[in-house]
Amino acid sequence: MSRLQADHLFKVFARRPADETAAVRALVNGADRDALREDGVTAAVVDASFVVEPGQIFVVMGLSGSGKSTLLRMLNGLLEPTAGRVLYDGDDLTALSPRALREVRSRRVSMVFQHFALFPHRTVLENAGYGLEVQGVPRAEREKRAAEALELCGLAGWENSWPDELSGGMQQRVGLARALATDADLLLMDESFSALDPLIRRDMQDQLLVLQKQLKKTIVFITHDLNEAMRLGDRIAVMRGGRIVQLGSAEDILVRPADDYVASFIQDVDRSRVLTASAVMTSPEAGAEPDPDAPVAGPDTLLADLCALAAEGPHPVTVRDSGGVTLGVVRKEKLLAVMGGLATEGVTAHA
Amino acid sequence: MPELPLGSWVDASVDWLQARFSWLFDAVSSGITGLYDGIDAVLSAPQPLLFAGILAVVAWWLRGLAAGLLSFAGLALVDSVQLWDEAMATLSLVLVATLVTLVIAVPLGIWAARSKTVSAVLRPVLDFMQTMPAMVYLIPGIIFFGVGVVPGIIATIVFALPPGVRMTELGIRQVDAELVEAAEAFGTTPRNTLLRVQLPLAVPTIMAGVNQVIMLGLSMVVIAGMVGGGGLGGAVYKAIGNVDIGLGFEAGVSIVVLAMYLDRMTGALGRQVSPLGRRALVKARAAVARRRTARLWAHRPQPVTALVGIVVLALVAGGTGFLGGSGATSTAASGAGAGHGKKISIGYIPWDEGIASTYLWKELLERRGYEVETKQLEAGALYTGLAGGQLDFQTDAWLPVTHASYLEKYGNKLEDLGSWYGPTSLELSVPSYVKDVKSLADLKGKGDRFKGRIVGIEPSAGMMGILKDKVLKEYGLEGEYEVVDGSTPGMLAELKRAYDREEPVVVTLWSPHWAYSAHDLTKLADPKGVWGKGDGVHTLARKGFSEENPEVGAWLKDFELSEKQLTGLEAEIQESGKGKEQEAVRAWLDAQPGLAERLAPQ
Repeated sequence: MSRLQADHLFKVFARRPADETAAVRALVNGADRDALREDGVTAAVVDASFVVEPGQIFVVMGLSGSGKSTLLRMLNGLLEPTAGRVLYDGDDLTALSPRALREVRSRRVSMVFQHFALFPHRTVLENAGYGLEVQGVPRAEREKRAAEALELCGLAGWENSWPDELSGGMQQRVGLARALATDADLLLMDESFSALDPLIRRDMQDQLLVLQKQLKKTIVFITHDLNEAMRLGDRIAVMRGGRIVQLGSAEDILVRPADDYVASFIQDVDRSRVLTASAVMTSPEAGAEPDPDAPVAGPDTLLADLCALAAEGPHPVTVRDSGGVTLGVVRKEKLLAVMGGLATEGVTAHA
Repeated sequence: MPELPLGSWVDASVDWLQARFSWLFDAVSSGITGLYDGIDAVLSAPQPLLFAGILAVVAWWLRGLAAGLLSFAGLALVDSVQLWDEAMATLSLVLVATLVTLVIAVPLGIWAARSKTVSAVLRPVLDFMQTMPAMVYLIPGIIFFGVGVVPGIIATIVFALPPGVRMTELGIRQVDAELVEAAEAFGTTPRNTLLRVQLPLAVPTIMAGVNQVIMLGLSMVVIAGMVGGGGLGGAVYKAIGNVDIGLGFEAGVSIVVLAMYLDRMTGALGRQVSPLGRRALVKARAAVARRRTARLWAHRPQPVTALVGIVVLALVAGGTGFLGGSGATSTAASGAGAGHGKKISIGYIPWDEGIASTYLWKELLERRGYEVETKQLEAGALYTGLAGGQLDFQTDAWLPVTHASYLEKYGNKLEDLGSWYGPTSLELSVPSYVKDVKSLADLKGKGDRFKGRIVGIEPSAGMMGILKDKVLKEYGLEGEYEVVDGSTPGMLAELKRAYDREEPVVVTLWSPHWAYSAHDLTKLADPKGVWGKGDGVHTLARKGFSEENPEVGAWLKDFELSEKQLTGLEAEIQESGKGKEQEAVRAWLDAQPGLAERLAPQ
């Protein structure tokens, strides 16, 4: 069963509620978002549907104003959808009473914010334990679990510091620890690394991936940075003007952009760190045994690493799976063409 | 433009409210009076210096040793100028006003922060409340609640409420929206979001609001003094009324001491109760700890030590206060007589014959065993208080002409005990060195010499109305002269100043007045008789007073003074200096053998 499902979500802001539902009907019938805006109606999210499986990192990518943050806030009920449903482990969040919704938010979903949103009047430990405090966990246990979460995020020893004494990266670790401490399965991350400088951002991305291997949470991650989206996302939704314009894996998007908008986006993406050998290999020629001197790579080897291997000798790189079965070869010409952004046809995408 | 009778509508609705909701006003009044009396009783119970010590320990704890010592010095100064009781009364007034204000303002501010509609509705109301001159509230205040501390407190509350509400709303609204969202995202209930996130982070701003409320309260103290609020405000008002620079300065300095103490302490308390402020304090202290001398002055006792100190001082204070209290009762009991300690309250306008006759009766009644309270009031407040029964009588009603308008309004709630002096006369006077002006008619065409000004007295005085409405018109002085509203002491001070420099000046005066013996003045003749026939100075009591107090009523009905007696008494008071009126009366009575016995026979 999917962990999280968004089912035709709409969020429209208008002065009167009646206008909102009318606008949703108009949008369903194909009305233009810009035309609605002239009537003072803002369609923030239009017909968003997706499924997130347990243990997945689902990235929503889009520029500011694309509706991604609004979408995220409908997933934990901070905003009520104008139309559509959010199913969480099969429960319809939109049908819950405010009280039941708060219960979901305190136990099953947690959130990490762009500007950390740490409570300045609480110590690091008290911040990390906030969710547990809301749940009503007794103090001793709360502090123990908060300290564990902090340790997990590499902040052991900082428990009694105050948020403003920490660097940005460390503050966001506290934010992450606060979200992890509640043991919620679903983690909503709203541009959580955008406010950090690039080196720290990379560190945090790495750490998130390491943690994810260990904890297997389900994560919805919002970002405006496609490189970040590609690095983290098992699946990526690209949003524009409130609509999801493409939904797929990093390779899908890179290799087969749904439209010019997405295509213009991916120009700046570092392909060598996103595409893998399986995307650029060709079937070995029938009967031809690969040269024994040829370098060997796995199907998940990144293009960047393939380039290094290819440079070692004159031979194409052989791609073998972990069982030693040859899957294909990667030719230098092909490698160079793909790296240069040419010849996307013939490149296979493995979702 | 047609005339819009806005004023009379308000008048009518105030009357209607008073008639319909007097039970409500009485309840509010007794609630506030009770609170005030309670706090005042606690604050005035201890020996002044002991209580100053308690306050100093609080300052030591909140701000350090230097602040503690300075507080003690300041409060000791207040005690040493003999204004301690007044200062405590003022402190009680400010505390009650602050308390009530906060009880109303903080919830309103929270409500406004959470609802745009409430905020939008409140904003113009608050603007109105804050910008309307605070004295305006006193008028309905007196009518609803009578003279005394209550209208002062109510006016203070109305005046101080807006910053309290605004700062609370601002404090909550300025809490980072992401923090509020974070709280909600973790399933916090709205109530707990308020209590755990918004309010703690809003505390510094709310405390700044509390500070403003207190400061506005203190600034209202003087105005409250005008309606019988007593305390330092009463002292200041009295000083203004009597052009007593010394008393004014002493009372003013005492208010400054209180203001500084309250300002610094609420500021420090704000840091103390706000979690963020506490942290900043710890840091600041760590920085100070590196310098040895600074460390001494900034030393602050542990809260427990401070608490123990306060408790010990309070216990000592409670003990001595108890003993002092029993001492006070025994002195009160010594004045036994026909009055048996019955309370009588006399109101007066700070006019010389009013002061003289009021203190004469205070002395006489006290000799006969009554407990007498005197309240200096503005004329309007005096009549309202008398009609409302908060005052028992006053001795300075000029009837039938000068105070006719008051009698018209309140006549059926008052009892005229007859004239004790008369006839009087009203006039404009110039120094006699202004040789060519002998009559009102002579003023015409000489406006330039007098800078076009006639120095007047309180605008509520009856003679001011006659002057403006009739005298100027009859003698064709309109446009050429402007009547300057002010106060009797102000007029006298201006007269003295001009007289000393031999400058031309026209003042409103009346006879009898000691000014005629102090300066050489010409009463301007009134050939057209516009000022009217002379008034008699009457004693007015609240309705039913002489029935309840037949003895005093009879004394007052028979009361009479000759011009020689009155001017002699006024001169005696003038010589003794302000604040010693009763001593002057005693000295004067001693020089008039048998008079006391004649005025109030035993």
